Amino acid sequence: MDRIVIVGHSIAGLTVGDNLRRLGFTGTLTYVGAEDVEAYSRPSLSKAALAPGDGGIHLAPLPRISADTDDTVELLGRRAVSLDTDARTVLLDDGTSLPYDGLVIATGSRARHLTDSPREFTLRSLADAERLRAKLLERPRVTFIGGGPLGMEVASAAVGLGCEVTLLNPGVPLSMHLGPLLGGLLTTLAEEAGVRILDTLVDSVAETADGMAVTLPSGEVIESDIVFTGIGDDPAVDWLADSGLLADGRLIVDSRQRVPGHPGIVAAGDVCWLDGPDGPRRSPVWTSAIEQGRVAADGLLNGDAAAERDHPFYFWTDQWGVGLKVSGSPPREDIAPEVVKGSLEERAFVIRWPEHHAAAALDMRMPIPRLHRLAAGEG
Amino acid sequence: MTRLELDKDRCEAHGLCEQAAPDLVHLDDDDNLIIDVPGDLSPSQLDDARDAVRVCPVSALRLVE
Repeated sequence: MDRIVIVGHSIAGLTVGDNLRRLGFTGTLTYVGAEDVEAYSRPSLSKAALAPGDGGIHLAPLPRISADTDDTVELLGRRAVSLDTDARTVLLDDGTSLPYDGLVIATGSRARHLTDSPREFTLRSLADAERLRAKLLERPRVTFIGGGPLGMEVASAAVGLGCEVTLLNPGVPLSMHLGPLLGGLLTTLAEEAGVRILDTLVDSVAETADGMAVTLPSGEVIESDIVFTGIGDDPAVDWLADSGLLADGRLIVDSRQRVPGHPGIVAAGDVCWLDGPDGPRRSPVWTSAIEQGRVAADGLLNGDAAAERDHPFYFWTDQWGVGLKVSGSPPREDIAPEVVKGSLEERAFVIRWPEHHAAAALDMRMPIPRLHRLAAGEG
Repeated sequence: MTRLELDKDRCEAHGLCEQAAPDLVHLDDDDNLIIDVPGDLSPSQLDDARDAVRVCPVSALRLVE
């Protein structure tokens, strides 16, 4: 294998590239990145990038090892538009055709939105964050649609910047992701911070003369200056539409991040679905993108001899002045956890549900490996 | 002439850096991050250090010249 093309220039793609070098790949490595900026820490966009202060966003570039070699090429500000697996070429939006022996797909995902209005905001890229930060500094009234991790983090940041915030979510925010106990606790913190939370779906979203109007199924209309939409993301696979790689529109990888039936092609990060015993699932979080990147590099170079993906789910969020770390998947039912340290009343604790292989730490220093061990019932 | 520097106020003890560069940093018994090679890094150590800096979820680690 002499030429490897990595489509995608964020943590998943960079992790694959660096690990290819560490595993001894000495051929040409070509990165294609849609954003014309140095790679940055995406989780910071909804945290440090929206912190109080009058200045702009200053994120340190992600350091790399592969960029130091002569045989590394970076094509930034350019997109892949199609893939020909027979000819083994990737076509870019400027007409360039890149031949490859090995291909890494790490194009990430795109935020879903509901309108084309410039008063509707989403958050996925550094450019999104710059636009959002500039607007939030004007202290607008904001309606948040969706109470998932991203919506709640940005709502917390908006309150911190002095905005008036209404958040719309069917059910208790975050409870779908974190279960009723943790979701309920973070929702209480949000309400205490002054957020108006309404348990509702949304019928429609439209621009008004000077703002946005969100119509609810009840007929009530919520008016605000801007809307922030946090209703999930879709894998960026449109450039693969005619490639033969997609199954029902999904890019599915095996336990070594390989695309079955297509030797020499791996994928990592938010773009892909991970095949497993319970069927394909996505794992669009930072730590998983890193783990997937390591596995993908090994899988591309070493095939069946490579190590399989084997990392427990880890997720963290910072909002309302506390940090929450979670290993595994807390039960969706209202099941009392075992309190390992601290207390629920003090809102500083380590808890676990050993039968569900899940553990969580709120406002506590807790290394990931130890949290995983607690979730596994050890310690 | 490059070394690792930690912003202690930012560090939340996720521990991803320790997994990436176990020879350079570790979390002690109180979950404080200790930089075990505080001085100039050799070329091979530098690769591990870059990996550690890159994976930090809160950008608490950095490389300084």
